[in-house]
Amino acid sequence: MRHGGQPWEGHLLDLAVAKRFDAFALELETTVADKETLVVVGESGAGKSTLLRLVSGLERPDRGRIATASRIYYDSAARVDLPPWRRRTGYVAQDHALFPHLTVFENVAFGLRAAGRSPADIRKRVTDALVRLDVGDLGERRPAEISGGQAQRVALARALVLDPDVLLLDEPLASLDLRTRAQVRGVLKAVLATLPAHCATLFVTHDPFDAMVFGDRIAALEHGRVTQVGSRQELLARPRSPYVAAFLGINMFRGRIVSREGGMVRIEAQGGELYAVDPGEGSADVFATVHPREIALFHQSPGGSARNTFIGAITEIVPEPPNGERVRVALSTWPALVAEVTDRAVAQLGLREGLEVTAMFKATGVTVFR
Amino acid sequence: MKPLIVRVALVAAVATLLCILALPMISLLVRLSPGELLHQLSQPVVLTALGLSLETSVATTVVVILLGLPVAYLLATKDFKGKRVLRALVEIPIVLPPTVAGVGLLLAFGRAGLAGGALKALGIELPFTTLAVVVAQVFVATPFFISAATAGIASVERRYTDAAATLGATPGYGFFRVLLPLALPSVLAGAAMSWARALGEFGATITFAGNLPGRTQTMPLAVYTALQNDLAAAVALSLLLVILSFSILLGLRFAPWGAAVGGAPARPRGR
Repeated sequence: MRHGGQPWEGHLLDLAVAKRFDAFALELETTVADKETLVVVGESGAGKSTLLRLVSGLERPDRGRIATASRIYYDSAARVDLPPWRRRTGYVAQDHALFPHLTVFENVAFGLRAAGRSPADIRKRVTDALVRLDVGDLGERRPAEISGGQAQRVALARALVLDPDVLLLDEPLASLDLRTRAQVRGVLKAVLATLPAHCATLFVTHDPFDAMVFGDRIAALEHGRVTQVGSRQELLARPRSPYVAAFLGINMFRGRIVSREGGMVRIEAQGGELYAVDPGEGSADVFATVHPREIALFHQSPGGSARNTFIGAITEIVPEPPNGERVRVALSTWPALVAEVTDRAVAQLGLREGLEVTAMFKATGVTVFR
Repeated sequence: MKPLIVRVALVAAVATLLCILALPMISLLVRLSPGELLHQLSQPVVLTALGLSLETSVATTVVVILLGLPVAYLLATKDFKGKRVLRALVEIPIVLPPTVAGVGLLLAFGRAGLAGGALKALGIELPFTTLAVVVAQVFVATPFFISAATAGIASVERRYTDAAATLGATPGYGFFRVLLPLALPSVLAGAAMSWARALGEFGATITFAGNLPGRTQTMPLAVYTALQNDLAAAVALSLLLVILSFSILLGLRFAPWGAAVGGAPARPRGR
């Protein structure tokens, strides 16, 4: 645990907290650097939401220190404990928590009014924030009258309009359906890219895809402790726990069976479609996994029997450490894929980041379960 | 299809209860001809009692809200030592006979009461004043407001107050802009219930405040007085009270927020 009275030089958020509950203890230490999104992944019950509540002041740690670049939120040694309303955190919950009795405009204006801003100032800022999140025409609606995706964007606007020092995102996409999720994900990505320099982001998710998309760094939280923290390359390269390996190691899609023929099913999954062996009757909503080793890469489609063909650019190439002659190749296909190929294949194909390739795998390589 | 015996029992229970509840109302209603009713209601003593009742019960409701809201907030949102005791204490007036409440009030705030001297030093003399009527009504009406308001505030989901706090709202600001608006249906229902209770208050009032026309003789007291020598006047006054009380209850049920008042909407009939 760090000590000292000054906020940490060069870090936007400096965290070292311990909190014990009846059957669960959270103990972690991490920092968020300049203009960085730290994605915290973990299973439910791992302490992800508790972490955000500690930072926002809704929950009090037993001991430790929470500081941003400009102020100390909590320091058990120095007996500092700012209440939530003095912390300047922007908290966006999974269920958006928009005030049901206020219009969208008044929801976004809420924090500004609490801060005593002038009506003209409020009108301008709220309007700007709504337009920025592409919900500028919803101002007079009530939360019950807008869709889930719109509500989540309004919740983002409500947090961002206050120019927070820390943006706390608690599974902001989890409650949205797949198509909406893709839309809001795009909006969120744009928002995070244009955050002011003083704003650190903690993004909590259990979705590997979101972790990949948003995480400048990823911290894996297991049973209240950080088991690994690093860039996505680092995590992909050297997963340090079975959870992390499972979390990042396989391609996994949530999708829906849209048609079946000749023992095969077509599954719509996260914006793309794939073919798999018919898993038999049951719910159309399925999970599909593809091990990275099942995926072969080509410069151009060679034709042949593989049913699943995706084209996309290579976003990352990461060595797979256990037996050094394999690498993992992340692709910007839709849905995004990670392939695992040999060093030789990399050399033969001249694989490099940014190169557009064709990824293929057989329908028999897809595991479908419900 | 329910067995016949169950249906008969249901119908019998409803019919019996309706008789006990509705027959007295109907009897009041049919007793006087409209002309006689109007004549009785225009008597000065009736108008005076009506005016005093409205005046005191509205004052009571305001006092109950002002004093009850902070207590309801505490009970609904905080954990503290003695919370259960406070809850029970606040609810005592519901089960206490109002005359007992009146005796207690007299012993507490009467001339020779525990706080009587202190009040006198402040130049306040309570017993047999209109103010005493309000005090008696507050005593009996407060619990109705506090239980409804407490339940209402407690039912506001934590995520909304949490959101308010992270958006920079102090607890006070959050209370007035988030907690109270979201709990408003229950708070209004509680206020209406305590208003109705104050309007009908008799025992504590007559014991503590006396029965002085124009000063402490509210409608229920006027009914009681009229009953001694003028049945028609008593019936007219009673009918007026019934109509007032029934209007309040009916208003509660039909208000846009009526669903929040005690009775949940009937369960949809399944197969």
